[in-house]
Amino acid sequence: MSSVTINGKEYPIDVAPDMPLLWFLRDRLELTGTKFGCGSGLCGACTVHIDGTATRSCVMPISAVAGRSITTIEGLSENGDHPVQKAWLKHQVPQCGYCQAGQIMNAASFLANNKQPSEQDIEAAMQGNICRCGTYQRIKLAIADAADELAKEV
Amino acid sequence: MEHAIQNPARRTFIKASALVGGGLALGVSLPSMAHQHLGSDFNPSAFIHLYKNGDVVLFCGRCEMGQGISTALPAAVADEMEADWSRVTVKQGEGNAEKYGPQATGGSASIVTMYEPMRQAGATAKLMLIAAAAKVWRVSAEECEASNHVVIHTPSQKTLGYGELAELAAVQEVVEAPTLKDKSQFKYIGKALPRHDQSMVVVGERTYGVDTKVPGMRYAAIVHCPVLGGKLKSLDDTDARAVAGVIDVVTIPRLDVPFGSVGGVAVVADNSWTAQKAVKALVVEWESGPNGNYDTKAYRAQLIANVEKPAEKVAERGDLTAAFETAEHKVSATYTGGHLCHAPMEPNASVVWVKDGSAEVWASTQSPEDIQNVLGDYLGIEPKDVYVHVMMSGGAFGRKFKCDYVQEAAAISKHINAPVQLIWTREEDMRTGYYHSINAQHIEASMDADGNVTGWLHRAAFPSISSLFNPALERAPANSLGEIENHPFGIANLRSETGEAPAHTRIGWYRAVYAIFYGFAYGSIADELAHKAGMDTVTFLHKLYDNNKNPEHKEQVARSKAVLQLAADKAGFGRKLPPGEGIGIAVHHSFRSYVAMAVHVRVTGDKIEVLNVDCAVDCGQVLNKDGATAQQEGAVVMGMSLSLYTEIVFKNGAVVNSNFHDYPVLRINEMPNVRVHFVDSDYPPTGLGEPGVAPFPAALTNAIFAASGTRHRDLPIKPMAI
Ligand code: FES
Ligand code: FES
Repeated sequence: MSSVTINGKEYPIDVAPDMPLLWFLRDRLELTGTKFGCGSGLCGACTVHIDGTATRSCVMPISAVAGRSITTIEGLSENGDHPVQKAWLKHQVPQCGYCQAGQIMNAASFLANNKQPSEQDIEAAMQGNICRCGTYQRIKLAIADAADELAKEV
Repeated sequence: MEHAIQNPARRTFIKASALVGGGLALGVSLPSMAHQHLGSDFNPSAFIHLYKNGDVVLFCGRCEMGQGISTALPAAVADEMEADWSRVTVKQGEGNAEKYGPQATGGSASIVTMYEPMRQAGATAKLMLIAAAAKVWRVSAEECEASNHVVIHTPSQKTLGYGELAELAAVQEVVEAPTLKDKSQFKYIGKALPRHDQSMVVVGERTYGVDTKVPGMRYAAIVHCPVLGGKLKSLDDTDARAVAGVIDVVTIPRLDVPFGSVGGVAVVADNSWTAQKAVKALVVEWESGPNGNYDTKAYRAQLIANVEKPAEKVAERGDLTAAFETAEHKVSATYTGGHLCHAPMEPNASVVWVKDGSAEVWASTQSPEDIQNVLGDYLGIEPKDVYVHVMMSGGAFGRKFKCDYVQEAAAISKHINAPVQLIWTREEDMRTGYYHSINAQHIEASMDADGNVTGWLHRAAFPSISSLFNPALERAPANSLGEIENHPFGIANLRSETGEAPAHTRIGWYRAVYAIFYGFAYGSIADELAHKAGMDTVTFLHKLYDNNKNPEHKEQVARSKAVLQLAADKAGFGRKLPPGEGIGIAVHHSFRSYVAMAVHVRVTGDKIEVLNVDCAVDCGQVLNKDGATAQQEGAVVMGMSLSLYTEIVFKNGAVVNSNFHDYPVLRINEMPNVRVHFVDSDYPPTGLGEPGVAPFPAALTNAIFAASGTRHRDLPIKPMAI
């Protein structure tokens, strides 16, 4: 049986091969931090990292991630202290919070690849993540802050 | 929904008791409840627990859905109690109206009803802690004061922590009417407080209704009858049952109560995805029923026709005919808007476990009481035997008031005799809503030579929320047009009429409710009138408010004018702008709050860019400034979505939209710079979740007019062709 690594732990893939990663996480492993918003790759609520790259888990069949390494919001940092998470708290981004796991995972992956993003870069990178509560202004500020923080770390 | 707001002047009742294991428990009854229960059983609607380790927990019966109640109320308690903010947390109470009083959360009313009682409870707790400390030290309570979670004996500077005092405090006398702090003494109220629950959000640990897991739970997905009032014609579930992991297929008949299922077919499986997949494999045919011809394009045209001819009178004052005859200028315009669906990011979801004679529910909900009543009725059990765990909602905006999704889960659980989680797909959420009314308004207004408005004819036609409870209604009832006769504009001669508008789908409360379209019509026509009178809109609006001589409207006029001026000043209204740019302004009073918005746009051909939005807000005393600011930012985003893009379209009785590609809510790339300014107000706090949405659409269309000369009277401005 093939397997997949999630937040550093290996799990056998013991479900139908076409089950999306999202539902493997939520229903099989009961890791519910990754959210269901649209099921069609349109909202970003289900964003996780596959080998470090932000991906929509609702449209990613589990069989396609066999042997790969997945990070979910629960595994983004040891103590909730990833610079993006810290910036999110500093700017008090979440309202209902439902979209935020996806926002944070997307932002973290984006910042790993773009150390000095412009406002336009941030907007372009985050366009796929919907927030119905309307926290976009704070997301922009928080990402800019996290970028500065990450620049210091290097 | 303003009528639901209780009079905060009534007395609050507070009762103390000891916690099991030691500690202080205070039950607080809301004023309205106290009224009902005078002389009878004490019936608290919230609880404050102080534990021996010093932790303070506030159990709150209201439902959190992102609007920040769970910060604003503990702030009020902590401030009066002199508690350390970091030691106060809030827990959502379970659905239990007997224990907590009415729990329905809407109409931006939570703050209004609970603010004073929570402050009083905090102050009472403080006095009991001081009394306890005075006993320990054998000194007079006058020599003691409380600050930051300790009681201090001032002469000796001895201290005792709240936790140490908790047990003894519980047996002290309850002070009935404690003196509350003066505004200048507030430590937490009105300050930018960190929201306690956010650290759980950023690590993915906060759980929502959809995240519920119960041992032995099955998973279900559903497809609904697409047309209201339709029914199942045929069903072939062979392929669905053949999907590995499918446990059962359950047909759910329509339940003709306002919050009941429209009817559907559900598949039960051992995980959500299998259930969703199998639903797609169902071969279902529906009979459309009486609403099978509903078509929103034709319906909107009909509404326009209905408001552009005489309709049924609702209210009248002065002599409108004479005013129109002697007018110097007349302006008439028709404004329309489409259906909207709430589309919170968390779709409808609940877990229900129907047992013998009782039921247990885990649901994201704005109204646990309705779940108890609907399920009680449906299952033939007492509402009190329906135990509702109120889960955190991933957004709601009015949708999660209606528990059709919970009733469906109950139907499935009953059928399979096991706990079941029903999660609607986004498509079902969008197509099986309780939509914001499609609407048309026609206003004819007259002015004299000085730009004073002399007459106002206002016709509105929209399928109303009342139609949910009385489907036979042909038009919106008079009370849905109350806003027109009570509007704070100073208009001596006025007539309002309600046009024919039967409902062909379910209509429901949507964040800001009717204020969305009233705000749009009032804000737009004020701008059109100002233009006609050759005045700037701010001056014109001031004049229009000043002309209101009704003494009962004095406060409304003053507060409306104050937010208007603040927004204008902050935005630099009237300053010279580059070509293609413009600032528009609008004011609206709803849910007891006052909001003005100045929107600054740049228009290039078809492209509309919103650059800045200045929001001026008078919501009485601001309890949590950062939370209040966030609510306004969110209101702008929702206002922008519905002004520019979102509309639910019906054809052949059914919703055509299906997901976020054809219901294009605002995304981050269009986010304007939003600046929120609060009026320093001593009025009691009023709601924020909704009133911010109302002025946005008109401020935007006025700005577009200023920038380009194009006047938009139909929302959304850029509907999708679907
Ligand atoms: S749930 Fe995956 S993109 Fe929306
Ligand atoms: S915080 Fe509620 S959807 Fe983003």
